[in-house]
Amino acid sequence: MILLKLISWQYVRKHLLRTALTVAGIVIGVAVFVGMHTANQSVLFAFNQTINQIAGATQIQITAGEPGFDEEILEKVQGVPGVRVAVPVIEATAATNLPGQGNLLVLGVDMTGDRSLRSYDLEGADDDVIDDPLIFLAQPDSLIVTRRFAEANNLRINSSIPMDTMAGRVRFTVRGIMKDSGLASAFGGNLAIMDIYAAQKMFGRGRKFDRVDVGVQEAESVPEVQARIEKALGEGFAVEPPSSRGQQFENTAQIYTLASAITSLFALFIGMFIIYNTFAIAVTQRRGEIGILRALGATRGQIRTLFLGESAVLGLLGSAAGVLAGIGIARVMAGYIGNLLGEVYGIAQRAGELSLNPRLLGFAMLIGALTSVAAALLPARTAAATDPVKALHKGGAELITERENRMRRLAALISITGAILCLWFSQHRILFYAGYMLAVIAALLMTPTFSLWISKLFRPFLKAFRPVEGTLAADSLIQAPRRTSGTVAALMLSLALVVSLSGLARASYGSITQWMNIALNPDLFVSTSESITARSFVFPAEIGDDLKKLDGIDVVQMVRSVRVLVPSRKGGGSVPVMLVGADIDRIAERARLPVIAGDANTMYQVAGAGNGVVVSDNFALLHGYRLGDGIEIPSPSGVLRLPVTGIVIDYSDQQGSILMSRRLFSEKWNDSSVNVFRIYLKPGASDTAVRQAILDRFGSERRLFVFTNRELRDYVLKLTDQWFGLTYVQIAVAVLVAILGIVNSLTVSITDRRRELGVIQAVGGLRKQIRHTIWMEAAAIGVLGLILGLALGAAQLYYTLEIAERDLAGLRLNYEYPVGMALALLPVILSAAFLAALGPAESAVRGSLVEALEYE
Amino acid sequence: MIDLSQVRKEFEGKRRVVALDTVDLSIAKGEMVSIVGASGSGKSTMLNLIGGLDRPSSGEIRIEGVALGSLPDDELTRLRRDKIGFIFQFFNLLPTLTSLENVSLPLHLRGWPRKQIDARARELLDLVGLSHRLEHQPDELSGGERQRVAIARALSVYPPVLLADEPTGNLDSKTGVEILNLIHDLHGRLGATVLIVTHDPNVAASCERNITIRDGRIQADVRREALRR
Repeated sequence: MILLKLISWQYVRKHLLRTALTVAGIVIGVAVFVGMHTANQSVLFAFNQTINQIAGATQIQITAGEPGFDEEILEKVQGVPGVRVAVPVIEATAATNLPGQGNLLVLGVDMTGDRSLRSYDLEGADDDVIDDPLIFLAQPDSLIVTRRFAEANNLRINSSIPMDTMAGRVRFTVRGIMKDSGLASAFGGNLAIMDIYAAQKMFGRGRKFDRVDVGVQEAESVPEVQARIEKALGEGFAVEPPSSRGQQFENTAQIYTLASAITSLFALFIGMFIIYNTFAIAVTQRRGEIGILRALGATRGQIRTLFLGESAVLGLLGSAAGVLAGIGIARVMAGYIGNLLGEVYGIAQRAGELSLNPRLLGFAMLIGALTSVAAALLPARTAAATDPVKALHKGGAELITERENRMRRLAALISITGAILCLWFSQHRILFYAGYMLAVIAALLMTPTFSLWISKLFRPFLKAFRPVEGTLAADSLIQAPRRTSGTVAALMLSLALVVSLSGLARASYGSITQWMNIALNPDLFVSTSESITARSFVFPAEIGDDLKKLDGIDVVQMVRSVRVLVPSRKGGGSVPVMLVGADIDRIAERARLPVIAGDANTMYQVAGAGNGVVVSDNFALLHGYRLGDGIEIPSPSGVLRLPVTGIVIDYSDQQGSILMSRRLFSEKWNDSSVNVFRIYLKPGASDTAVRQAILDRFGSERRLFVFTNRELRDYVLKLTDQWFGLTYVQIAVAVLVAILGIVNSLTVSITDRRRELGVIQAVGGLRKQIRHTIWMEAAAIGVLGLILGLALGAAQLYYTLEIAERDLAGLRLNYEYPVGMALALLPVILSAAFLAALGPAESAVRGSLVEALEYE
Repeated sequence: MIDLSQVRKEFEGKRRVVALDTVDLSIAKGEMVSIVGASGSGKSTMLNLIGGLDRPSSGEIRIEGVALGSLPDDELTRLRRDKIGFIFQFFNLLPTLTSLENVSLPLHLRGWPRKQIDARARELLDLVGLSHRLEHQPDELSGGERQRVAIARALSVYPPVLLADEPTGNLDSKTGVEILNLIHDLHGRLGATVLIVTHDPNVAASCERNITIRDGRIQADVRREALRR
């Protein structure tokens, strides 16, 4: 402790900028980690909170996937012994049409029984409204809203709200306002309660409920009643506590969570290299000090503890600042992620406020400090091993010894051999990931050597460009590899991630565009929602017949897509996937999806006849299904067991899709409704004219949105863009890393070369010439990082595409190097390098020349 | 050639230190002058001020009639590079450059054409007897050879003023003598004004004029017949 105070504190005080840069390395890592996780958690938490607040005293919920089930199920549940109360629920989101209010979560309930599960804490005398449910029921336009929502929109009792329903625009009347607590705080307060039958009408549910909420009699045990309900209803129903819905949401969004976790961990890893760099430099520069301490009797252990102690303190400081910065990042990102998940998965949630998890923040502090200590381990070991006699002699400390180089190269060779061997056995998941790790380790081990080789290659060019400034900049890199290799490594990792993410994005765009050309070839799409992924509202099938009668329409295909849970053959358990009920044999006539397995001529016929299903390739890859395997699909009529008759490329859903005969779906789910009509026009018909005709015919009586082919494609690409928004986060991290690392390296370089720079000025070097040499050194570090980063990016892209195929999205993506992004990174990183060099270059020309010449 | 008028240099720190105390001095063109004095007497400070490496707290310094005090930094650097050559005790060669590159350095900084630079650098290294060490880096040379390279670098444009700070201080006595002879030889051949800061009485004795500094003031200024060995 005393050494920390006497030695470290003095060093920190003297090198405030460098200390700040070290801390900044940890701040970046921890901030991105905390930001990403807190934003994700806030969204998940908001979803869970909404579930809990809406569940009230509900102990068991009965669902059958998104399509819901027939009304008579309610009676069956009510008849099960031990059930105290069972009430129907429709839960869906709808646009408010009010400026700035976004979506409203509408809960359709049966007021007569619902109050025994949920408390509608109404203001003032409004309790009358539900004290006598008949008043509420007698007026089907009744709506109860929360105080927050009412205040935000100047609503009072008897105010009216226009809402688009499946029966056109209806004006609802506010008949009650809930106090802001409990139920009223669900979905950020954007909640409305209406009568269940009004909700059925509004969302086009027919005679169906989404869910039945159950309260159990006091003397009964919940699991027992749950088992009895399961038995009474048979297979095909999910009978679970409310909390399991949160798990389903997490499962659905797990790809996103995983992708953001990888990015945030990478940020932390990169932060580690900045710290390693600083400590490695510090050990080199403080060799004299270490020598004196050793000569005065400090043990190796004390020296090691001194450096590790320093790193732990800085790690904690950086982590604390990183946590604060991360909360700021999360605040910005939570809304973005909420929208993204809502659009991509069609699951609405609203992250009103951040959910700060003390455990996560504590973990981030710990991981920040540990990362810092881990980064300082090697430098601390080097410091402890310092020979006091040699340390007291000046010079020669900066060079990496030949032995160290040999060891590094040997370790790199072993790692790369291991990585190549692992490639041969990459069908084993663990070996694949081990190979990936080994490839990254090999690149890191070779960074100093590659940097040296490339710097030597640079020298003649830089010399030819600027004989003095260029030569000195190159020599500075060649002479002090330790000074720059950490920065180059951090930059390399960061840029490799940018390359691989943008390569993944590019490949995804390519594949999605190809798929859209085939699958999304109808001229018009008619949907119930402005977001094609939202499935709150559905059309009755009869509209299909009416559409066919319109001029210019040739073919109308009806599609019903719902999310259902099917067993995974890979990881076990159930996974949420998209079940698409459509006339698949007819769709296949117009849109022939590329076949991965099965006979293209017969698979659609067999599936169309209801004797099997066609599944998407990503479903098969992610969940371990092959041609001929049986899939168990739960339906309200029991579990369907159907063989996979074909595997095709289809990107309608990230978790995979199952294409089933529409007739079979209607029969088993007793649901003939439609989400989307795919419309092909007659030759010569104009899409805009037909769109107008559809809107004229149905617009006034139906909630209905018509997309042209171009609009739908643009929408899909917009979603893909949002998804790859992570790439931009990573580019920002790369630029920060570049600036921090380069400032760090240059600051040290200028200190080390103070005398040299003084000599140049003494023999006639102008200030601008000194600035040039610093700028060129910065640019050279940037270019080194770029060359290595772009090269490692090529390997990383291979692994990323493989991971995307195997574990993330089940997408078979073509390897194509993102040349455009690589070229764009050159000016970005060079600008960052220039920016980073400005401060150090000024400090280099401002100091005293006499002191510089006397500097040892 | 070199004129100091009421030059004073103070260093501000926890306490103020007066390194040079109102010094007046005039050195004529072509003179070879030694400056001697104890450590901390102010001799190196005087050399740094004359060389434009530092600026006086008050007073004026003129080189060939040009007042250094009024020059902006880059102008001062240009004056230094065109009129002054420096020889340091610790040579101050750039360790990564060869002898040829080290000598070429000031010429590159002036922006001379490459061919001309190469010819001049070879000529200078030949002048100091190192034409066989062109491609050697400093750590491949002996102490004396390093100082010869430093002298060649100082002479790059044959400046009218040559300033040497303990040029033999880091050399054994035999090599020291060789270097001193070289400086005398060059002085004779090139006619430059030479100022040598030294502790070594033999070096001081070899100069035509001997200035002794004590506590920042000129204590003695003696002209004598040059002693050539």
